[in-house]
Amino acid sequence: MLRQLQIHQLQVRFNGEQILNDLSFKVAPGELFAIIGPNGAGKSTLLKSILGLIHPQQGDVSILGDHRKVIVGYVPQSRVIDDETPISASDFVSLGQISGFLPWLSRKEKKALNEIMQFTDTKRLANKPIGTLSGGERQRVFLAQALVRKPDLLLLDESTANLDPEAQIQMMELVKNAAKEWGVTALFICHDLQMVGTYADQVLLLSRQGYKTGHPEDILHDRELMTTVFHGSSSENDTIHHVPTESELPLAGFPQ
Amino acid sequence: MFQYDFMQHAFIAGTLIAMMCGVIGVFIIARSLSFIAHTLSHIGFAGAAFSAYAGIDPLLGLLLFTIAGAVGVGQLGVRMYRRDASISVILSLALGLGILFLSLGNIQGNYSRTLLFGSVVGIDMQDIWQIVLITVFVLVVLAVGYRWLKFDSFDQVGAQSAGLPIRLISIGFLLLMAAATSVTVQIVGALLVFALMTVPAAAARFYTQSIFGMILISTLIAVLSVWFGLIAGYYTNAPISFFIVFFNAISYFFGMFFHRVRERRRVLAS
Ligand SMILES: Nc1ncnc2c1ncn2[C@@H]1O[C@H](COP(=O)(O)OP(=O)(O)O)[C@@H](O)[C@H]1O
Ligand SMILES: [Mg+2]
Repeated sequence: MLRQLQIHQLQVRFNGEQILNDLSFKVAPGELFAIIGPNGAGKSTLLKSILGLIHPQQGDVSILGDHRKVIVGYVPQSRVIDDETPISASDFVSLGQISGFLPWLSRKEKKALNEIMQFTDTKRLANKPIGTLSGGERQRVFLAQALVRKPDLLLLDESTANLDPEAQIQMMELVKNAAKEWGVTALFICHDLQMVGTYADQVLLLSRQGYKTGHPEDILHDRELMTTVFHGSSSENDTIHHVPTESELPLAGFPQ
Repeated sequence: MFQYDFMQHAFIAGTLIAMMCGVIGVFIIARSLSFIAHTLSHIGFAGAAFSAYAGIDPLLGLLLFTIAGAVGVGQLGVRMYRRDASISVILSLALGLGILFLSLGNIQGNYSRTLLFGSVVGIDMQDIWQIVLITVFVLVVLAVGYRWLKFDSFDQVGAQSAGLPIRLISIGFLLLMAAATSVTVQIVGALLVFALMTVPAAAARFYTQSIFGMILISTLIAVLSVWFGLIAGYYTNAPISFFIVFFNAISYFFGMFFHRVRERRRVLAS
């Protein structure tokens, strides 16, 4: 179990450009924590900093667990799978089983693999080549690969983007159940504010100008704030219709 | 045929090498390194020619050159070395160097032919021991590193996300390819190492969707192709390399056909 995830005064710059500026927040164990914000706000950068793929210029990320090392499962935003990739979904999920050194799976590992595929409803895709799966099916396979190591912390970067509403709900239900059954703490980046409202316990609204954390109702219903952050970003069409498109508002109630 | 020592030796050496090539080939294909395999075998050719010129053990020269080549290619960076242009330059340079060493050393045409096209006669016990040592080493490292290598080869983004040391895996794999190439060049020749290392693995992809299955089938095809080559070569006196490549090509095209038919059935069924 994760004991705490704490981000403290995190600063990330790329080529002198400030992407994350003095970002601090905490995530409680077992929580579903949504990260929202316009494109280019630094959402993916934040997840990569938590993973250690990016080294921040300042500040720190502390991930503490109960007794053993914290295992982090991550589903990245872009993962190009060639349609010709011949390997089966179950082999793809099993790639995540890296703790052993034997070339074959132990009985325990086979059981874990089976359990995860059952859980993510990918069992019936097990023998299909990964390249032939639909978008929603692939995302569930990616999730299964991240879950097969029994992570304490799960990071999902737009895993529900480009999915139809039904598939989105299915993904979010899986994440919710993972949190409930195994106490997984999940951070997910999502553009669909309705999903965020339904599933998130906490929300981080991130933009280049600043950030705000709080309960979904407090953030999503703060029209002034939402308009300010999302207004004018044309590629956020799906979020704009949740937000009244009034005239541009000042950065009221927005720290920094 | 087996009453001759040289045929016994050829079978032992050929089988071991085919097994190694069959296994490593699956990862070469998955990592899109076919062209690097081709390049390393030409670097190997230069190394063998250098050995002949300098009068050292051929395997030593081969290893020296291919390992230097692998490190050099690795330095180009994980992404860069898949780019064809710089690799083509290295390949041509290696070929040129090989020709230079052959002429400097005043090497007989016979030996040059062996280096390029391979030869199974004249494999002695010492060669066999060298081959055993290197193939066992390569196979053991592949087995121990299997899970990491598999993850990085079939899902690089996932492997990086899971915190695997992808740079180490990349360089380590290139070094294994160097070692594998060094022994293989001596038997099948620089020009056809490529065939044995990539065609069985490419064919295996048509027959199965399991990674382990691919390794088994690829190994099987590689071993059968070498046996076929040795036997057919023995009875016809035509070069064994031809038969090896022929067998592999048949496996590949048959696999492609088999795959198409199965796909069509799958589409019709759904
Ligand atoms: N490795 C990198 N090098 C340079 N700039 C980067 C890098 N990664 C991201 N950026 C820049 O940082 C900004 C934030 O990117 P990102 O975190 O992917 O945004 P989001 O996920 O919120 O859409 C973008 O302007 C992007 O161009
Ligand atoms: Mg992003």
